[in-house]
Amino acid sequence: MGIALEQGDNSSVLRLDGEIDIACAAELKTLLLKALGAGGEVRVALDEATELDVTAVQLLWAAKREAGRAGVRFAFEGQTPEPVLSGLLLTGFEEFASTMDACKLSEVVRCQP
Amino acid sequence: MSTVSQAEQFKQSFREEAREILVDLEAALLELNERRGDLELVGRVFRALHTIKGSGAMFGFEDLATFTHNLENAFDEVRNGRLAVGSELVDLTLSALDQIRAMLEEGADGALEADPAACAKILAGVRRLTGKPGVEAKRTAAPLKAACGTAPVNATGEMREWSIHFAPGPEFMLNGSNPLLLVRELRQLGDLAVTASMAGVPQLGELDPERCYVAWDMVLGTRAGPDAIRDVFIFVEDNCELTIEPASSSATDSESNPSGCASEIAARALDEPRASSGGRRNYDKADNAASLRVPAAKLDQFVNLVGELVTVQARLSELAARCDDPDVAAVSEEVERLTSSLRENSMNIRMLPIRATFEKFRRLVHDLARDLGKDVELTLEGADTELDKTVIDQLGDPLMHLIRNSMDHGIEPAATRASRGKRPTATIHLSARHSGASVLIGVSDDGGGIDAEAVRRRAIEKGLVAENVSLSEAETYALLFQAGFSTAKTVTDVSGRGVGMDVVRQRVDSLRGSIDVVSKAGVGTSVTLRLPLTLAIIDGLLVSVGEAFFVLPLANTLECIELTREDVERANGKQMANVRGELIPYIGLRQHFDIRTKRPAIEQIMVVETEQGRYGFVVDQVLGNCQTVIKNLGRFYRHVQVVSGATILGNGMVALILDPERLAQDAVRLNSQRSRGNYALGARSGRSRDSTIVKGIQGFAGAGE
Repeated sequence: MGIALEQGDNSSVLRLDGEIDIACAAELKTLLLKALGAGGEVRVALDEATELDVTAVQLLWAAKREAGRAGVRFAFEGQTPEPVLSGLLLTGFEEFASTMDACKLSEVVRCQP
Repeated sequence: MSTVSQAEQFKQSFREEAREILVDLEAALLELNERRGDLELVGRVFRALHTIKGSGAMFGFEDLATFTHNLENAFDEVRNGRLAVGSELVDLTLSALDQIRAMLEEGADGALEADPAACAKILAGVRRLTGKPGVEAKRTAAPLKAACGTAPVNATGEMREWSIHFAPGPEFMLNGSNPLLLVRELRQLGDLAVTASMAGVPQLGELDPERCYVAWDMVLGTRAGPDAIRDVFIFVEDNCELTIEPASSSATDSESNPSGCASEIAARALDEPRASSGGRRNYDKADNAASLRVPAAKLDQFVNLVGELVTVQARLSELAARCDDPDVAAVSEEVERLTSSLRENSMNIRMLPIRATFEKFRRLVHDLARDLGKDVELTLEGADTELDKTVIDQLGDPLMHLIRNSMDHGIEPAATRASRGKRPTATIHLSARHSGASVLIGVSDDGGGIDAEAVRRRAIEKGLVAENVSLSEAETYALLFQAGFSTAKTVTDVSGRGVGMDVVRQRVDSLRGSIDVVSKAGVGTSVTLRLPLTLAIIDGLLVSVGEAFFVLPLANTLECIELTREDVERANGKQMANVRGELIPYIGLRQHFDIRTKRPAIEQIMVVETEQGRYGFVVDQVLGNCQTVIKNLGRFYRHVQVVSGATILGNGMVALILDPERLAQDAVRLNSQRSRGNYALGARSGRSRDSTIVKGIQGFAGAGE
């Protein structure tokens, strides 16, 4: 459970594991700034995440917005777990969720009541 | 801070808050039992249940939340006039509170555990009363379902659309609240279209990671009424912007009100009197942090440190007096003034009204009355009287035993009351009031009174008194508090084992308090516990006799007068002083504690106010005021009655803190025993014991010099 940053020559991978909430929000911000500061592509792996709370969502959203402005590629990689995606959809973050995993998202959307 | 510890911290906060809510809820239910048509009380019960349910769900107490949800529904039925309050509903809810309490403690240090069979029985009872299927918790073996469809409905039960704007305030997340859970809870009320607005999210570098910048705009289609929607936000409404308005009219109303008084629009549209509770909240209002929840242990640590500071300050004052340096003296005086303020403030923080302790006995009286088949009401007086939390914490058990005893033995069966021409409803009266440095806690009943002769006979049987000894009323009643003493012919579930009163005495003794019993056959009994206001620091007056130092609590002290040898001779051996025409009995501390030093030509009488009237204590010198940090004397000296503790003086000496009440009582008792020429078995003069302690402690202090 936690956050790990792996930095290569031209890319940084941020791995989120377990419940990502206010308890690790400060750490997530620091690592996002570090990843963006490195200049290369930033990828966020949510495969092992079980839940994103609002503090995590707004940090990832702000980081993605900043990467876009700076012309840095920022992407979510791997399969985002269904509970994380459906959690985002149920609470109004559809636009943000749509940037994660288009295929998976379409399945989740179809399942929504 | 790790995830686990923070989550556990929030859970702990919820537990503490829920415990307080449960106390209030219990009191409200018992009041409701008395005033069954009181809609305000119904609302109070409903809101308390709703808060426990909502907060419980938020902090992961899902079973608790689901279980409580059923009770909340039942009280919503009451609120809407579809269910009447009866004793069955009250009793079911009271039993449910016990289970909620147990669910709350599961996983914590508490040994409580909810009983699944009892939970199922309660839910079955609620279902029978409401005629609704209800929602079952996991522990009752049924799957946990969403609460959808069981929420309070609007007056007509029609499907309506509501437009809801919700923006958490800056402190929202720090309080342990989670906006996503609220949105999900709202979804349980019906069809929800929700959009999260990220417009307020700042640049990553400027973003406070522990603050929520997201706002939500939602449209909810539901049969639930506005109360149900508002209730979702009931425990966060002071820390968010919230607007709830009918979706169809919102656009028109908002356009015609550019000033944006959304709450008023919503309230008008909903035709609701509670505009402020459901409308826009100003979360930056000044009283947001008007009170803080601080663990009691932290406060105790703080008071202990202040105690240490007071002791060090006394040393500083002593040093300044020896130095004879005006600069040092000025600093010392300033430190003394500040220490005194700090002490007063810290002690005030720990003072609590006794109301919560009193209120919790409503349930005991209600349950015991039902079990014993007696009709008893509990009345309270002086519940706002404040005393030190450490004293309050230890009052619960003694009061419980006294009330149980009154209910079982004091209050007569209905037939006996009727034959005595008494009201069918008996009364147990709990009271509290300040008296000097003490607080008096009273438990009285209008029952049959104590049979003093039966007590005496039982005491003779048990060998506690000799047959030929005559006992005063106070001495007779004091026997009731001896270990294993009971006049009850049979042992019941409630009392009769002779243990309860012994517990009362032990606890009161450990608090350096005293017990006074007044009883009249056929009329009732009144037990008064005299307890110190605080067990930590008091204002005292330092006096000396020979080389021994004593502290008298300033709150009891009235004045100081001189006692010359001529005065003593004029009194013809009677220890009475003439103070402006009033004769005041006095006790010589030199004689009482057997201090064998030369008596000065002029002594001082400290006149103090006691329950026995005014008394004088003769000392050699009055040394002045002193802030007194009370140190316990420990188990070795627990039988010494007239000393309530000790304190360390600035010069390192130990001074004993005298208990003027006990000294006066001692004097009265000795005089009365002397005049009757007999002593109860086991009763000893306390003087030799008291003198031993003075010599022991003062001698020890002297040796340490």
